[in-house]
Amino acid sequence: MEAPPVTMMPVTGGTINMMEYLLQGSVLDQSLESLLHRLRGLCDNMEPETFLDHEMVFLLKGQQASPFVLRARCSMDKTGTPWHLRYLGQPEMGDKNRHALVRNCVDIATSENLTDFLMEMGFRMDHEFVAKGHVFRKGIMKIVVYKIFRILVPGNTDSIEPLSLSYLVELSVVAPAGQDVVSDDMRNFAEQLKPLVHLEKIDPKRLM
Amino acid sequence: MGVTCVSQMPVAEGKSVQQTVEILTRKLELLGAEKQGTFCVDCETYHTAASTMGNQGQAGKLMYVMHNSEYPLSCFALFENGPCLIADANFDVLMVKLKGFFQNAKANKIESRGTRYQYCDFLVKVGTVTMGPSARGISVEVEYCPCVVANDCWNLLMEFMQSFMGNHTPGIPSMFSNKHDSIYSPGDTMAQYMELFNKIRKQQQVPVAGIR
Repeated sequence: MEAPPVTMMPVTGGTINMMEYLLQGSVLDQSLESLLHRLRGLCDNMEPETFLDHEMVFLLKGQQASPFVLRARCSMDKTGTPWHLRYLGQPEMGDKNRHALVRNCVDIATSENLTDFLMEMGFRMDHEFVAKGHVFRKGIMKIVVYKIFRILVPGNTDSIEPLSLSYLVELSVVAPAGQDVVSDDMRNFAEQLKPLVHLEKIDPKRLM
Repeated sequence: MGVTCVSQMPVAEGKSVQQTVEILTRKLELLGAEKQGTFCVDCETYHTAASTMGNQGQAGKLMYVMHNSEYPLSCFALFENGPCLIADANFDVLMVKLKGFFQNAKANKIESRGTRYQYCDFLVKVGTVTMGPSARGISVEVEYCPCVVANDCWNLLMEFMQSFMGNHTPGIPSMFSNKHDSIYSPGDTMAQYMELFNKIRKQQQVPVAGIR
């Protein structure tokens, strides 16, 4: 089968824009184990992988109406890993039939002085949180089940409290623009997780 | 990366940039250095756009985004006297997204290209510094690969540089005194290139035709 045309978005600076395809849902704490059990069965065979990450969201305010948002994430339990800087664009409002939320994303690995550098650029931290959970993979799909913790004292990741009595479940794929078949594969996988969790395309604007 | 010293070689009296580079590289080859491909270090300048300055209440800052062929998958972003961020190549894509806030001063793009030589434990890169179509000067980068503590090998580096740079051997880079015993890193080399490029930009144009 011929590959679909790779770019339907403009190619800038010699690189192809990558898009994140996303489906989200949640499960209550008491249902976590059954979900993990099913995911272990459905996903690629690998060592169970847990993570403990600290994420900080930075804003750059300009004269434009909306500030520029960047997310800086570092691992709290794995030493020596680079920091992860992420830009996420506005969700593409296009095909209502498309099963997943699609937005432009740029992922950059950086050295540890990322937060100092962002402040020097003029960014200011808007909020931060700790994410603790499990990560699974199936082909190019990534499934993350995690709990968000509020940080009680800014900058101190030792005193945290859970934000809710549930776990957030995210199914995502990062692929070049134009690969809409990806969202069909994601929908098919999401079907297999029902009724334990209902993964849907959630428009962030509707929640605000 | 080993401890590295980046300096400028002045153009020889009565000669062009290209001729001076040839004299230098011939001296290196006579010493026994082996040619090992080419190198390129480039630097782009971004300044904070007017739209963000009002909120900051401070003068616009200059941010330099540099690349080094020695680290093809990396991108270095620095502020003068500020932190140096080492990121992967996607950082360039992010700068395109940030074009409303940081404007690329395309006319300020400066680069140094030339040949890479290896001599025992030293790596020497002699480059022609160009801004647009014109050659503006010569950069010499000397790395002593086995050592990562700057102050431990400065004397050795200086002695080696004297053997082919003669009187034009530079003094100890100012950043070495700040390093004390901390490990030398590629970010330090890029900071030296940034200083060199800024110095060259301020100098008057070298009165010779641009190189081919």
